[in-house]
Amino acid sequence: MKLPTDLVKMYKEIHGWVGIVSGLALFIAFYAGAITMFEAPLQRWASPPTTLAPAPSLARTPELVSKVLAVHPEAAKGYEIHLSVGSANPARMSWTSARGEEAEHGGGVKHYASLAADGSVQVVDGGPSEVAQFIDVLHQQVGLPFAHEVAMPIMGAIALLYTIALVSGLVVLLPSLVSDLFALRIGKNVKRMWLDIHNVLGLFSLPFHIIMALTAVVFAFHDQFYGAQGVVFGGQERGDRGAASIAAAPPPASLSPLQLVERIERQAPGFKPEVLVYGQGRGGLPSLRVQGSDARFGLRAPTYGMAGLDPETGEITSTDYMPGMQDGWSATVTSFFALHFGNFGGNAIRWSYFLLGLAGAMLFYTGNLLWVESRRKKERQAGAVEQTRATKILGALTVGVPLGCIAGISLTLAASRLLGHSATYGLHSAIYYAVFLGMTVWALFRGAAGAGTELTVCSALAMLTIPLSSLMVGPGWFDSESLWLVDATAVGLAVLMVFGARNARQRARYGPSDSVWAFDTKA
Amino acid sequence: MSKPLSSKDWFGKSAAGLVLGFTLALGAAGLFQRLAGICDTFFSTKGQFAMWLMSPVWALTLSFCFMFRSTVRAWLWLTGANLVVWAIVLILEGPQA
Repeated sequence: MKLPTDLVKMYKEIHGWVGIVSGLALFIAFYAGAITMFEAPLQRWASPPTTLAPAPSLARTPELVSKVLAVHPEAAKGYEIHLSVGSANPARMSWTSARGEEAEHGGGVKHYASLAADGSVQVVDGGPSEVAQFIDVLHQQVGLPFAHEVAMPIMGAIALLYTIALVSGLVVLLPSLVSDLFALRIGKNVKRMWLDIHNVLGLFSLPFHIIMALTAVVFAFHDQFYGAQGVVFGGQERGDRGAASIAAAPPPASLSPLQLVERIERQAPGFKPEVLVYGQGRGGLPSLRVQGSDARFGLRAPTYGMAGLDPETGEITSTDYMPGMQDGWSATVTSFFALHFGNFGGNAIRWSYFLLGLAGAMLFYTGNLLWVESRRKKERQAGAVEQTRATKILGALTVGVPLGCIAGISLTLAASRLLGHSATYGLHSAIYYAVFLGMTVWALFRGAAGAGTELTVCSALAMLTIPLSSLMVGPGWFDSESLWLVDATAVGLAVLMVFGARNARQRARYGPSDSVWAFDTKA
Repeated sequence: MSKPLSSKDWFGKSAAGLVLGFTLALGAAGLFQRLAGICDTFFSTKGQFAMWLMSPVWALTLSFCFMFRSTVRAWLWLTGANLVVWAIVLILEGPQA
């Protein structure tokens, strides 16, 4: 396809700059996002066996609820009944004490309740591991350790740059599309090889990237979008969900969980109910929601769809987010979420999204490599013999940030096994950022060439602490055989990184000596 | 033939794309709201769809605004596009108000 050369040249420059500004943040978002595809299994993998008494049966759940509410009346404001109990949901009943903004983003202290053998109420505050949730937030906030309301607009700006990068990248590729499409020239010309890889990854996962970019813009700016629409076109603005006051305990729901499950199954065959969420709706009236999944449909939330229920009759009253019962508009909006979360079609799609996510991370990594390579070429044309400071710093960051992210996530995951019940969200965050910053600073201090090999080896070792932690705690932590896939995947990635480290070392020794990837021979 | 496209005037063009792209996206959402006959945004799924519309309009305006020959042209054309969209929004609103 022929395009004017000035257009292509302009978009090539734009592509380089938006790419270099957003690339490292996008690497973290995609790597953490790929892992988040398995947030639920990871939570099970990382959660220590519970200290709670075995959960009472569904038939005995009304007894549990009334006993808990007698001791903890504040739980009446909102609590969940878990229909399936396992290591990620150790208790039949749970509730959260959190305020306002904290509650909206899933923060606050979680409480889990069970009935001891003698029928007395048992409540613990520490529940399943939050390390998977930490990785999810890392993904949402492109790796920034800021408060949600600060990090999200920055993520949104990154997402806009990402869209520009996709459009400009496509414009640059179009003229040579036919000749370059199936070409992967692995050989002496390293830059050519990285460019081919970059193009192949970018082009073949383009639909995935378009979805991610446009949904991410919405996830970042939905408050602003709704706000602007509310101001200009009127209508009800997004309500403050934290405003519900603690009314007197609502009358207990007329139907028991067992009856509710039976009514739901009758109305929505194929839907697998997982959690009953009791709360207070507008005006302090009791409200009831069921969360669950249906493999035949995409889901509104990362792992579940939901329906509003009448607590007294068990009748489904709100189907806006109910898989398979939505009207065209709801199903369309849900499809945007489902396409981002990859929660349709079961494990095959989850693994595909995992691989697409890793491919995306590679796309941004190769983009950074290309930027460093072309700077080198430009600088040499300009007569410089040595790399400029900026290129050196960027080369070091290109090594330190991705590898710091990979090692940080690995070690904080493995740490969940050592910490057991004393693990907290804050502790997981501290471990991650200590490793991340340590490796980034090391790369800046050592330079790209040295750090490239050393940190890749470190990351591979960090990855191996994951299966090591499993061997340490033994099969007691595994509630299903399939969780060993976590360890198998970690071993696979570690092997890939060992190969990467070997190649980086070769290049540092025998590659062009004016490269940022070459060992500094004067030192 | 006018002077070739260049990335030198990126700031003026992208500022136009960022500001006028946002108002254009808001106008597009408003247009959809008028045509679909809704006034509630957050609590209706059509309203949510209107909100989702803003993302592609804004992001694509920002991505393609570099194709204008100059900063001035970018601002003028995007202002024109805004006027057209917003005029339709206001006309559709007219009888109801």
